[in-house]
Amino acid sequence: MVNWQYSESIESSEIVKIKKKYTNYIGGKFVEPSSKKYLNTVSPSTEEILSKVPLSNQKDIDNAVIAARSGFEKWSSITPYERSQYLFKIARLIQERSREFAVLESLDGGKPIKESRDFDLPQVAANFFYFAGWADKLDLSWSAKELKPYGVVGQIIPWNFPLLMLAWKVAPALATGNTVVLKPAETTSLTALHFAELCHDAGLPAGVVNIVSGNGSTGASIVNHKDINKIAFTGSTQVGKLIQKSLAGREVGLTLELGGKAANIVYEDAAIDQAVEGVVNGIFFNQGHVCCAGSRLLLQESIHDQFIKKLEKRMQTLRVGNPLDKNTDIGAINSKEQLEKITSLVNEGVSDGGELFQIECELPGNGFWFRPSLFTNVQPSYSIAREEIFGPVLTTLTFRTPEEAIEIANNTEYGLSAGVWTEKGSKILWTADRLEAGVVWANTFNKFDPSSPFGGYKESGFGREGGRHGLLSYLKASS
Amino acid sequence: MIEVKKTYKNYVDGKYVRSESGKTYTITLGGEHFELPLTSRKDIRDAVVSSKSGYKKWLSTSPYTRTQILYRLSEMLEGNKESYINILKNNGISKRNAEKDFNNSIEKIIWFAGLADKWEQLVGNLNPVSGEYFNISHQNPIGVVFSLNKDELSLNQLISSILPALTVGCSVISLSNNSGLLALKFAEDINNSDLPAGTLNILSGNFGKLIDDISKHVEINLLAIHKELTFENIKKIEENASTSVKRVKIYPSTEGISSILPYLETKTVWHPKGT
Repeated sequence: MVNWQYSESIESSEIVKIKKKYTNYIGGKFVEPSSKKYLNTVSPSTEEILSKVPLSNQKDIDNAVIAARSGFEKWSSITPYERSQYLFKIARLIQERSREFAVLESLDGGKPIKESRDFDLPQVAANFFYFAGWADKLDLSWSAKELKPYGVVGQIIPWNFPLLMLAWKVAPALATGNTVVLKPAETTSLTALHFAELCHDAGLPAGVVNIVSGNGSTGASIVNHKDINKIAFTGSTQVGKLIQKSLAGREVGLTLELGGKAANIVYEDAAIDQAVEGVVNGIFFNQGHVCCAGSRLLLQESIHDQFIKKLEKRMQTLRVGNPLDKNTDIGAINSKEQLEKITSLVNEGVSDGGELFQIECELPGNGFWFRPSLFTNVQPSYSIAREEIFGPVLTTLTFRTPEEAIEIANNTEYGLSAGVWTEKGSKILWTADRLEAGVVWANTFNKFDPSSPFGGYKESGFGREGGRHGLLSYLKASS
Repeated sequence: MIEVKKTYKNYVDGKYVRSESGKTYTITLGGEHFELPLTSRKDIRDAVVSSKSGYKKWLSTSPYTRTQILYRLSEMLEGNKESYINILKNNGISKRNAEKDFNNSIEKIIWFAGLADKWEQLVGNLNPVSGEYFNISHQNPIGVVFSLNKDELSLNQLISSILPALTVGCSVISLSNNSGLLALKFAEDINNSDLPAGTLNILSGNFGKLIDDISKHVEINLLAIHKELTFENIKKIEENASTSVKRVKIYPSTEGISSILPYLETKTVWHPKGT
């Protein structure tokens, strides 16, 4: 008999040299934070301290904004074609150092290497390539008489796709002629700080890209800075609302990409096996740390039992463990705080009366882990059906008619994404038209592309990232 | 013979109504006094309920029909040209300027009428994604829009503050203060143009007293501010709006494609290709 025993396949981390301590990147120079304070950055899969990153204060932000302002003058004085060339060059450098960045992303953030290697990094390079080509074609993009950059843009990004969110922010901002002060998330700053080296290597003019690490108060210093022209934020709806409030009356541009609680609707006439795969990808991709995750499974009543049975069987095959193992499907939860939040919401779901299924698997001793989980027998009023869990937890609700599915799907303050599964074309279009969501995946889920606009309705934020529509987030248009 | 004087009323859900508060305020025009409804908090709420249902009706109206309804609006106005010009003239505007304002209004309505069945082609597109996927970005109207009109007496201004949102399928609640009489006069032509009830509600009153009720109302999806406001009021509106991530547009463009962009949400739909 063949021995099917599992054997691991670990990606070597030798390719990346992690420094003991990092500096900010301001005005083309690598500088110590004026606070002289640092944050430890921890590998969530081992709890080992990987390095220290600057905990920047108001003075550091002041310096970065001044640098970005002078960078803006320089950036505005060169031709659109030259701006385009810099972006193409960055795209190429990313491709060349892709594996190094992928390993670093998995070490620092806990995501499986197969995702950082095959999804995050290729998408990062693709974003720079895509927007590079827009830099000298802005006059063709929208039929407005005048399209002007904002100037200095403050960008605050989350920890779930650290370098990809940087690319989503930096590439369009630079292509449209803005300069940036970017703050990576405090638990995942390393790839952004390595990206600073890459900008340096590309010979990007000083001050065009400034990377400043820190925590929430560093972010607040950016938002409240007097000389910032626009803020682009990706993160929670709670923080997004605070930022919107802080900017009240200030004539500062704002785009927000906030939380979600996406409905993934499976009709009885769906291709069931494909839908099971799509639902698994929809919620367990990146440990469910995805703002557009398909976290509410809406099943038509007639297929509920059959679907759940198949789904549980498929979930049981998911491999949870070392992010650097090339076979790993589910890596580490990004931080202790996030693990606590997920655990608390799941406990609440159980005490509310939800039926919880978790896969059986061994979890590593150190690090932050959570078993892929599925709730059935859930009422729409439960927290697990309403709040963003941001973890590998799927909540099931049922419906009888398409109209009811739409009503349940839209019955949330969020409106970022949604999924629909059916083999009937007219039903896809009917459903997609009625879903209040910025992205609708039909018979697929969690697909992304630099040319495809992404962003939400309602409290999931405003503005789009990606595509021709994404340019408008960084341009002031007038007729 | 005693002259018959018209009572001006708010226009909500296709009906002419007094403010539920029973209150009015006085506008003086050409030496004559007019009592206009002083819109209350409850009136705003009623208008939002009506606008929500109006939005659904307008959304299910085909772009071709929307074009015809908006064109009919210009026809209705044209039939009442003299009465508009008289209102403008009574406010001290020269005959020439009054006629110009009126003609510009007609031109504007017809421009937007013709855009109602075209804008989707101008702002949406297929996206060339990698891989075997059909991927299209198209637009949905944002929903219920509140629009604050300027105090300046101008039909063209009033129309410019309403038409961009209306053209793309939003329902609009328009509030005017000093220019209220002209707005309520305009409401009479709306009623004759076949716009579904609730699609466009016209109110008169004092925005300053309703600022919290309007900017905190979670079922208003966007606030378009055309009237110049103090810094404090803009700040208050934007702070209130942040509690529900409401969109606020201060002095938005009223011309060209830029004028409709604030009222649209981009929806991107993916589907695999295959055999």
